Amino acid sequence: MVSAMEIYMLLPKTNCKKCGLPTCMAFAVGLLGREKKLEECTPLFEEKKYEAKLAKLKEIMAPLESASETGLVIHPEKCFGCGNCVVACPVNVAAEPTRCGAGLGPESEKVILRVEDGVVKAFNLKECRRFGPNKILCNACTATCPSKAIEFV
Amino acid sequence: MTDYNYRSCTGCALICEDILYPDKLAVPQARNLCRKGQAHYQSLFADRTKPMIEGRDASLDKAIARAAEILKDARSPLIYGWSNSSSEAQAVGIDLAERIGATVDDPSTYCEGLFMEMVLAGKVPSCTLDDVRNFADTSIFWGSDPSSSQPRHLSRFSYFPRGSKRQKSYEEERTCIVVDVRESPTARLCPDTTYRIGPGEDVQFLEAMLNVLEGKIPKFGDKKKMIELGSILKKTEYGVIFPGKGMLQSLQGKMELFMDLMARLNEVTTFKAIPVAGGFNTRGFNQLLLDRTGFVKSVSFQHDNGEVLHRSEDTLAGAAKRADALLALGSDPLAELPVGVARALAKVPMVAIDSCRSITSDAALVVIPSAITGLEAGGTAIRTDGMKVSLEPIMKTDRLAEEQILTRIMEAM
Amino acid sequence: MAMEVKVATFRDIFQYEAGRKGMHSEEYLQLSAQIIMDKEDLTNLGVKDGGRVLAENEIGSVVLVARTSADKAHPGVAFMIESPWSHQLEDDERCKQGALGFRGISAKVSPSQDNVTELSEIVQRLKE
Repeated sequence: MVSAMEIYMLLPKTNCKKCGLPTCMAFAVGLLGREKKLEECTPLFEEKKYEAKLAKLKEIMAPLESASETGLVIHPEKCFGCGNCVVACPVNVAAEPTRCGAGLGPESEKVILRVEDGVVKAFNLKECRRFGPNKILCNACTATCPSKAIEFV
Repeated sequence: MTDYNYRSCTGCALICEDILYPDKLAVPQARNLCRKGQAHYQSLFADRTKPMIEGRDASLDKAIARAAEILKDARSPLIYGWSNSSSEAQAVGIDLAERIGATVDDPSTYCEGLFMEMVLAGKVPSCTLDDVRNFADTSIFWGSDPSSSQPRHLSRFSYFPRGSKRQKSYEEERTCIVVDVRESPTARLCPDTTYRIGPGEDVQFLEAMLNVLEGKIPKFGDKKKMIELGSILKKTEYGVIFPGKGMLQSLQGKMELFMDLMARLNEVTTFKAIPVAGGFNTRGFNQLLLDRTGFVKSVSFQHDNGEVLHRSEDTLAGAAKRADALLALGSDPLAELPVGVARALAKVPMVAIDSCRSITSDAALVVIPSAITGLEAGGTAIRTDGMKVSLEPIMKTDRLAEEQILTRIMEAM
Repeated sequence: MAMEVKVATFRDIFQYEAGRKGMHSEEYLQLSAQIIMDKEDLTNLGVKDGGRVLAENEIGSVVLVARTSADKAHPGVAFMIESPWSHQLEDDERCKQGALGFRGISAKVSPSQDNVTELSEIVQRLKE
């Protein structure tokens, strides 16, 4: 997963404060936490000398774009389709105790994780325990993945 | 919720039965197939075989006739493969082997074969994977990496699901242990209980396990970690070992060492062992051959009197060197075997019965296209733990099922 | 510059998938024709990650891409995914009952400027 330092290295590092934050490092942290948008660093977009860095920034931050409200990101190219996350997810198990709870594939549309076409897909992320004001730091899916195909940003 | 039309997957020896294949009425995409099962399913649409003789297209009838000719005339034919065939096809294949005086061998010879033999003979306590899910609190993957070879092993049975006596599952009630030469994907799931050893050090590790079980200081490995392992084993209520070929090959045939360990473990608590079979119906083949000949693999049928032989020259290495014809049944020996054995086989007339193009089918004298068992053809098979599974095809095809091909070959003789 | 290593083979789900799609593909070649080596071993050999090495023993030889292992140090041990490339270095003893007499693969590894061995070449060698 991309780090704040990696992002920082690609920023202008001038601490110009145009984004509203005092330093580029603070902006990098803000980008990672998705409190700031890349467009808020106007020099990056307006000055030609940052073209290559901007392109690289967009590339390394692409997974963050697709991250959900819960911060869940799935990398299908790494996924084994093993179903560990499907069976470990407490929401899945509560929804289907005799199926997901017992290692089988789910039937209902209430589940969060399901393996389709050989890889895991996420649905109904509002039901995920990491979502919303009462969120808890559940990590059942990421801790049970053999290939870091599912992670939280 | 509609009644789902569940089918099976023949991608590995777990033979999962909760698969939903794409069907616009029910689901638009395949569900519950792991990556390996999905790849197996997709091979329906990959480079399929066609009937061929000497590298040129031929009619199916001519290909079958030529195959029959080659096999009938051979003095020491070898039939290799078997593990991806239904039990019905395997039965017809053994009939054929008896008829032509062939040696039959499958990949388990050099993998889990000796261990499978012991399990089928009842010399090693074993159980079903459902028992593992319901009762096991310790799963040991020794020289095996099911996350890569039987991907749903841990989520369906051995670590993550809840079972009747294991409702709190992996979080509180199950321990996963890995003994391996590398940090495999399975090892990544339980880094604190992974024991990394060097290649060929399995015997030393086994002896160290015996040491700690007896309360002695282990002579191998990290002493503290081995003693911890001893505690885990002694606290186990129902343990299961899944030995992979990495470990079994390391034992160099000294299976009594493994039997000693199992016996010692069972003095302290309950411990079982289940093979990690390659090919979805390896166990089915080993069981069938055992029922018919008394041996689980590496068997030769005498040409004239059908007598069953089981000599050292009947195991693959010897049989391949002696062979004057090869029938590759749903297998790719030229790609899977050590170069010396593969080269010996490449020299003789080969008949390939397979669903998809392979190195062997490309080099074969005769290619006969077959239906993919479990997808295009049905039958029965035996899961890696001995449970019988019924296979229903998901689609129709013009391709013949393996047992039909083998029957026709015999008819043509 | 050469080094003796023990080679342990393993199964990989992505290489299996690539093989099912087609064994003559670029992807299958990339995943199969590689040898995963200990970081320090590679440094001592003078080979960078992605560089090519010749792996040879009395059974055969293949040119492979060297990759740095992500595991904790394992000097003298290398890993290959089970494939026609690994079989080029394998003793027939592996096909005896219980693989009796098979002591695993040992190979001498040295830097190479040659191209990675193609599958077609391996197939060609079988016919000789």
